[in-house]
Amino acid sequence: MKVKLWGTRGSIPAPGPETIRYGGNTSCVGVTLSDGSMLALDAGTGIRCLGLALPDEPARLHILLTHLHLDHIQGLVFFAPAFRPQTEIVIWGPASPEASLRDRIARYISAPLSPVEVRELPCDVSFRHCPESEWEIGSARIRAASVTHRGPTLGYRIDDGDSSLAYIPDHEPALGADLAQMDEDWISGFALARDASLLIHDGQYTDAEYPCHVGWGHSATSHALSFARRTGAERTLLFHHDPLHSDDQLDELGAAAQQQWVELGGDPGTLELAVERSEVELPARAAKAAAAV
Amino acid sequence: MTQRPLELILARNLMSALSTPAFLVDEGGLLVFYNEAAGMLLGKRFEELGTVGPQEWGSLFGPFDENGEPIPYDELPLVTAVRGGRPAHAELTVRSTDGTHHEVEVSAFPIQTPHGSQGAIAVFWPTANGNGAEPA
Ligand SMILES: [Zn+2]
Ligand SMILES: [Zn+2]
Repeated sequence: MKVKLWGTRGSIPAPGPETIRYGGNTSCVGVTLSDGSMLALDAGTGIRCLGLALPDEPARLHILLTHLHLDHIQGLVFFAPAFRPQTEIVIWGPASPEASLRDRIARYISAPLSPVEVRELPCDVSFRHCPESEWEIGSARIRAASVTHRGPTLGYRIDDGDSSLAYIPDHEPALGADLAQMDEDWISGFALARDASLLIHDGQYTDAEYPCHVGWGHSATSHALSFARRTGAERTLLFHHDPLHSDDQLDELGAAAQQQWVELGGDPGTLELAVERSEVELPARAAKAAAAV
Repeated sequence: MTQRPLELILARNLMSALSTPAFLVDEGGLLVFYNEAAGMLLGKRFEELGTVGPQEWGSLFGPFDENGEPIPYDELPLVTAVRGGRPAHAELTVRSTDGTHHEVEVSAFPIQTPHGSQGAIAVFWPTANGNGAEPA
């Protein structure tokens, strides 16, 4: 499984010289499965460049949306493959009692917010509510579960062979809960992230900023680290960077996070801040063991 | 490990922050949490007791009807809320671990989710003529 980060920013795009290293595009992670199937996790502005990097040939793509906040869907109408008739796109997302996934997305992909309507997209697009139980896409088993955020929001787990990716970009598991004390089965998102090869998790606020943002649906550094340690994820990327955080501020956040991580007993090499355009290859466990010898 | 549904997790988190005695059962009617205020009423913190089945719950705390008869677990407002999928209300007496009886009013409501009923919450209010503790 190959993972590429096309957008690591949260809330709103933050382009400019201050954010050039960590990136300004909003949430989008490209995943190439071991059988070659392509997934996009979220469709923030990062998906535009993911689309430009894909070959212009008949293809089937799956877009897995965690939720419909604008920073996770804004790139949809600028996703080049959506304008190719030979492309089939399946968009997965959370169900809501209020309206179908298609109708809720169409509120954004429609006038006056968008120059095109969903029905005008040249590609073959379909919308599916994520099932409660695990399902398969290509060589992967996919699981979606509701997590603590604002409004219906999912986290995903993708198991391909022996490697696994947990993607929980918008998550406030510490809201009203002490993550260090709470039993595992009572922690939001825990089963998704348990022993994952790679955890991509919300790390929007510093611990000092969090008290002014309680209940906004995001994590402080220490919450993300506590969650990562409890779940036993092998490697963690702090994601969904606050748009107000410059590269220099993120360097500071990263250094503070690293210190806390080590204090919690974490291996310093297993925690990083997510960087736009960076890639992670998740080899099968057998290959990992061989490499470690 | 079975992950609890998010709605139950959020309910527990909210209840932990309340000073009204509150109880939580899962979709099978099993008591899975009560808060500190409820612990003060019962004389035992949830962390000390843990998840308990109907039999143990009944022998520890009652509850009892106005004639002092034990109310079967299946007839408690919490259980009718989760099984019947509708709110339930009752006046009953609970016995705390020190033997004190508390008359309380109980309101319970089901936790409905897109996937059906995932459990129920009950809140306890000491009745005006209750002989037990002050409202917590
Ligand atoms: Zn977001
Ligand atoms: Zn969001």
